[in-house]
Amino acid sequence: MERLMMAFFRKYRLYLLCGIILLASFIVYSLNLKNREHAGPFERGVMNLMAPLYGVVAKVNGFAGGIWSGYIDLVTVRRENRKLTETVKILNSRLTAANEAVLSNERLQKLLQLKSSLHFPAVAASVVGEDGSPWFRTIVIDRGSVDGLREGMPVVAIDGVVGQVVKVAAGSSRVLLLTDHASGIAGVVQRSRARGVVKGAGGGLCSLEFSLREEDVKVGDTVVTSGIGGIFPKGLPVGEVSMVRKGEYGIFQTVDIRPRVNVSRLEEVLVILQEKHD
Amino acid sequence: MVTFIKFATIVYAALLLQVAVLPAYFVDPFQPDLLVLLIVYLGLREGGWHGGVLAFLLGLVEDCFSGIYFGLSAFTFLSIYMAMRKVSDRLYTDNLYLMVLVTFLATLVNGLLQLLLLLLFSAGGTVYASILAALIPQALVNALVASVSFVLPRAGMGEETK
Repeated sequence: MERLMMAFFRKYRLYLLCGIILLASFIVYSLNLKNREHAGPFERGVMNLMAPLYGVVAKVNGFAGGIWSGYIDLVTVRRENRKLTETVKILNSRLTAANEAVLSNERLQKLLQLKSSLHFPAVAASVVGEDGSPWFRTIVIDRGSVDGLREGMPVVAIDGVVGQVVKVAAGSSRVLLLTDHASGIAGVVQRSRARGVVKGAGGGLCSLEFSLREEDVKVGDTVVTSGIGGIFPKGLPVGEVSMVRKGEYGIFQTVDIRPRVNVSRLEEVLVILQEKHD
Repeated sequence: MVTFIKFATIVYAALLLQVAVLPAYFVDPFQPDLLVLLIVYLGLREGGWHGGVLAFLLGLVEDCFSGIYFGLSAFTFLSIYMAMRKVSDRLYTDNLYLMVLVTFLATLVNGLLQLLLLLLFSAGGTVYASILAALIPQALVNALVASVSFVLPRAGMGEETK
């Protein structure tokens, strides 16, 4: 019996070895599934190794882009200049009206004595890299734990929500964009206060999941963060509803959202230094 | 030691190109996955136990800059490497067209394997749309890059072991 077993192992040792190695690598993958929103020592080490060059490469890219737009692309500049001069005239008149509205608003604010919204400390960061795969949506920023960043911190841009910090190394971090399939942000429709979860749908779009059929959601509605979950402050713009579909059956409606932020053209972001609180 | 330094330099450069340079000039999904090309090279032209270790490590490195599922690419890269090692004896690996075809197929298999693992073990139920839409374009781009890369002389990685 023992001889048979030994003969069996000798005959199929290569396949058995391959199977054991594949099983070991599969165990590595499945063990890290629970821990996917934290960077392990290996990930931190690799990110620390790559971080110094990202800034240099981003500067080289910027320089090359500057050469193109400053010298080579001047062919259409004259025509654009004429068009812009006309636009400036129109905008100047609008500016005058806007200034009047701003002054009026300031007076009203003082009168109403609005309590200012909570101010969180934040740190600006530059985008220095993107995801290595076309089906995941993450970016690399040039801030890390030395700048006070922690996993789970929200990331915003001028126009609205960008995503959430998922992996942090010493000098760089990775941000999971709101358009990634693994992303989920508690949101609310600003007009009707219909609640849902904004989940990434790939292709630069998101969807508002778990929005009940009877909730009032229309195309053009603005979706903002609801503050539920304690990750994102309440009221940050997420995007605009681009499609609403209510099937004949089912308790939820299908809502597509176009994010306010153009995630494919991000250059600077703001990381809100707020840890998750309930 | 020299071979190790050469290989590490190539991996570092490939990663830098893939994450920091190419995204500025190429739109998704027309960005090549340069690490898949390295896996194909390791599988068909290099050999030995160190090839498997390198394939696994390359996968872990790819996972550090791709998605949030650490270990996913490590498993798929290792599987592709093992499959390549199994058939490399029967293939004429000096043929450029064959290398291009294998790169195309390896990219497809990598995407499909990742899709399978994500559907089975993660909550990303909608990820199939992104992966399937990007699979063919990325495979074509990888094949195009392979047609240029594999023309270059061997990087002196070591003698072929069969």
